[in-house]
Amino acid sequence: MTVRDPLTGLTGFTDIIGPLGTLAEPPFKIPETVEELRYFLQAALALEHLTIPPYLTAMYTLKPGANQEARYAIRAVVLEEMLHMTLVANLLNAVGGQPVVADPDFMTDYPARLPYAKDPVPIALRHFSREALRTFLWIERPEYLADLPGRGGPDPRGWSSIGQFYATVRQGVIDLAGRHPDLFSGEASRQIGPEDFYNSGGMVFPVTDLDSALKAIEVIAEQGEGVAETIYNPDDRLFGQTREIAHYFRFTEIYEQRRYGPHDTPFSGPTGPAMPVCWADAYPIDPTATAEQYPPGSQVRVAADRFNTVYARLLWLLELAYNGEPKRLQAAVPVMLELRDLAEQLYRNPHPDPEKAARGIHASATYEITGVELTRAKAELDAGIGSAALLAVLS
Amino acid sequence: MSPAREVDGHRYDVIVVGAGPAGTLVAKRLGDQGWRVLVLEAGTRTLDTWPGHLDAMNTFYSSLIKVPNSPYRANTAAPSPNVLDTVPGKDGGYRAVGYLVQNGALPYGTDYVRADGGTFLHWLGLTPRMLPEDFKVRTDYGYGRDWPLGYDDLQPYYCEAEREIGVAGDAAEQAEAIGLPFPEGYVFPMHEIPSSYVDRVMARELNGKSVTDPVAGRQVPLRVVNTPHGRNSTPNPDYDHGRGYRPVGAAGLPNYGERCVGNASCTPICPVQAKYNPLKTQARWSPKVTLVDRAVVSRVLVGENGRVTGVEYQAYDDPAAPVATTHTVEARIVVLAAHAIENARLLLASEAANSSDQVGRNLMDHPVMLTWGLMPGQVGPFRGPGSTSAFENFRKGDSRKKHAPWRLVIANWGWTWTAGSPGSDVAAKLGIPASATDPRGDAVYGQRLREELGHDIGRQIAFQFELEQDAESRNQVTLDPKYRDGLGNCRPVLTYDLSDHVKEGMRAATDVSHQIFGLLGADERTAYSPDTPSYFRYRDEPFTFFGAGHGAGTHVMGDNARTSVVDQWQRSWDHANLYLVGCGSMPSMGTANPSLTMAALALRSVDQIHRDLMDLHRPLVVRPVPLGGDTHPTEVRP
Repeated sequence: MTVRDPLTGLTGFTDIIGPLGTLAEPPFKIPETVEELRYFLQAALALEHLTIPPYLTAMYTLKPGANQEARYAIRAVVLEEMLHMTLVANLLNAVGGQPVVADPDFMTDYPARLPYAKDPVPIALRHFSREALRTFLWIERPEYLADLPGRGGPDPRGWSSIGQFYATVRQGVIDLAGRHPDLFSGEASRQIGPEDFYNSGGMVFPVTDLDSALKAIEVIAEQGEGVAETIYNPDDRLFGQTREIAHYFRFTEIYEQRRYGPHDTPFSGPTGPAMPVCWADAYPIDPTATAEQYPPGSQVRVAADRFNTVYARLLWLLELAYNGEPKRLQAAVPVMLELRDLAEQLYRNPHPDPEKAARGIHASATYEITGVELTRAKAELDAGIGSAALLAVLS
Repeated sequence: MSPAREVDGHRYDVIVVGAGPAGTLVAKRLGDQGWRVLVLEAGTRTLDTWPGHLDAMNTFYSSLIKVPNSPYRANTAAPSPNVLDTVPGKDGGYRAVGYLVQNGALPYGTDYVRADGGTFLHWLGLTPRMLPEDFKVRTDYGYGRDWPLGYDDLQPYYCEAEREIGVAGDAAEQAEAIGLPFPEGYVFPMHEIPSSYVDRVMARELNGKSVTDPVAGRQVPLRVVNTPHGRNSTPNPDYDHGRGYRPVGAAGLPNYGERCVGNASCTPICPVQAKYNPLKTQARWSPKVTLVDRAVVSRVLVGENGRVTGVEYQAYDDPAAPVATTHTVEARIVVLAAHAIENARLLLASEAANSSDQVGRNLMDHPVMLTWGLMPGQVGPFRGPGSTSAFENFRKGDSRKKHAPWRLVIANWGWTWTAGSPGSDVAAKLGIPASATDPRGDAVYGQRLREELGHDIGRQIAFQFELEQDAESRNQVTLDPKYRDGLGNCRPVLTYDLSDHVKEGMRAATDVSHQIFGLLGADERTAYSPDTPSYFRYRDEPFTFFGAGHGAGTHVMGDNARTSVVDQWQRSWDHANLYLVGCGSMPSMGTANPSLTMAALALRSVDQIHRDLMDLHRPLVVRPVPLGGDTHPTEVRP
């Protein structure tokens, strides 16, 4: 396939030839009922999560101590994606929905197809590399054209960008709030507040009315793409924080190995100081690796399977946190550290296939979460592994 | 030209000497009020960027001994003392081999950092308040010195300091367990840092029991109380009348360090900067505040009328090369906030503020006596901040008439302080001797090594008895022209000892410690070696102690110009526009870690500095002079 990003002029990815996983997309229309809006918001929840495994993969494949500036930039973006996911859950709860996370359909297999896009852009789990950064640029690409679907029935044109998707959700929320005075009647106790979520630009806030709902959508859209026609996100305006540049432009800095200067715009590209990036200081991995390719019983296979089960446990904790038990988010933090350690163990070992190992390819975490992993993780959670003792202290 | 030279000859509203915790807060408040403030910092400001912080982390990781100053690079122009500077003497006793010259009976074991951020770069981050009774120890208990103000005077400033630092704690428990008064409905900005597993084991085994204080002859009930911290925890939505609190992240890296994650290396450095440091406050300074680093103030300049006109300072470029040029800068008000010992050194060098002959005297610290042992079962040390809880009942009461009180702090870092754990445990198991000339012992390896280490280290507990030291005029900082630093400034000469009041406290504490280890069923391993520089014997018992890093008392406040250096506003009795802020002003320290009280005092001084500046700036109004008056009309102010 050959696709070309209109903003960067970058050409497509040629190393992914198999089929791509897909995330279910709502029809190209403005949601007209509360039920439809909930469906759109559930789709948004899955969309926000979709970005996290590729970003984590790039960050955790960095060699220790290397590419510090890039590491902190990616880390900040991942945290904001977690923030977005949590804000979407707050939105969904505010309109009486029930966020679903611990479900085999919540995650798609990687490489996945970039949702809400015309072109079949593969979102793969790649080590820190130019290809990984190009993938990220595709995900966070700013969308300056707000051509919404028409009202009254599906529009045959179809989705063209994530920005367009969120603009559509926004319009739906406004329309429905006008028609349903009790739209935001979800239980307040299901909202996640700053007590339970931290360490990201912006902050989590409860969604209780149209204003807070629109603010949440604004945070989600603009932290990624930037405030229209600038390189900055809206944190300084919305939260009184230090001015920060949006995800797309942070990734551009890494890709171009140059920072934005004070007078740069989205169209000028970065013209500031050089940014030290060493592409070689990362563990190369196979973007199409699956756990099944690792020999049964091998240490790498055990670690890869373990990673997937622990990741499923994380999904369960998020599911519970988003469904009336916000304190579960605190218990999710050590699980994320467990995942980091498991992932780094994998990345630091050679791929078990001698041919791949000879090419310098390392083993990797594969993020394959099916019903099997979810069932196993639920059993572990019910048996008290990982979080029960901690929760007892927190409560 | 370096910024330090650029400000030569300029005039400001306020000059603050020292960009540590006190100076940073003073500059913050005065800058917010619109005053033009110049902050002169003797050290460098490398750490106020994230790469600077990472450099300090790497320096810490690679240092062989993890002492409080190990992350912070050496500076020959503005040297800092180090806890490694006191070494055993040839025939017992100690020798001082570092920046501080020492000639006292016992070594002063406390260090500080001369760099932007000051000693708060390596503070432990505990913010207990002093007790109301701590302010009147001379009147009520017959030792030390009284304060010219009381707890109630500090109450609003304690609250303000808790906001600026960002305190995590349980105010209700502090009120109920310790008897601390708080404003109605007060909560801290953040919920308490969760008590460690060690704390919870202690609480399970000891709460409700009591021990006997053999010196004072009284029963003391044991209760484990969570300590307020200056580090980020879960924000309390009820704070500030329901407005809540946003934790402040790392300096130089937004959205990082918004919660303590329990690295347990608070001293010497918090890797994520969840622990408060002044660089976070500096990031929010008004543009009215100018920070100039590598500017060593060498003299306070006093004019003919007794008012201070400014300061003389030495500007240097390379911390490795002790070469400087000398300049002056002027201000309406000068604030010295350079640390108790450095403030005293500077005043003595300037021959200023010393009509009472008290400058440099009453040097104090919290002498720390350590006891340690092994629990019967695993208690999980090395998790959480260095300490999360303490026994608070030894801080108060009439036993203070008999001996010094103490705060009994539960350590979360095993035998780190007493024995250099866990590194020393690994070395011992590997048969590596303490001295390179000794033969290597037997070693265990592999799984057995891991199991044995886990079995031993996981059971380590230690107590830190942090004793109040009474102000004594014989404990003092002096200058001797023989001893100078690289820029030719006189180094501090310290004369230090412990009073019998403190030693009686240590005697009582030793006995209390034995009783607690007994109640815990623990194997006490405390042993005081004559090789320790601070070793001494008292009433036939051996003791050693360490400095707490709580240097204080060198320009004490009082209500009389003849017997104290500053008034209750930390303003020099001798020079009406010279303020001396910091722990040096404390006439007594109680048993609370002093940082929070120092911050509260600094904020209280700002109110008075602001009033002084308003008076100095208000235009004169010419009015008729009453007949017989000898005042010039234009000297009359409204």
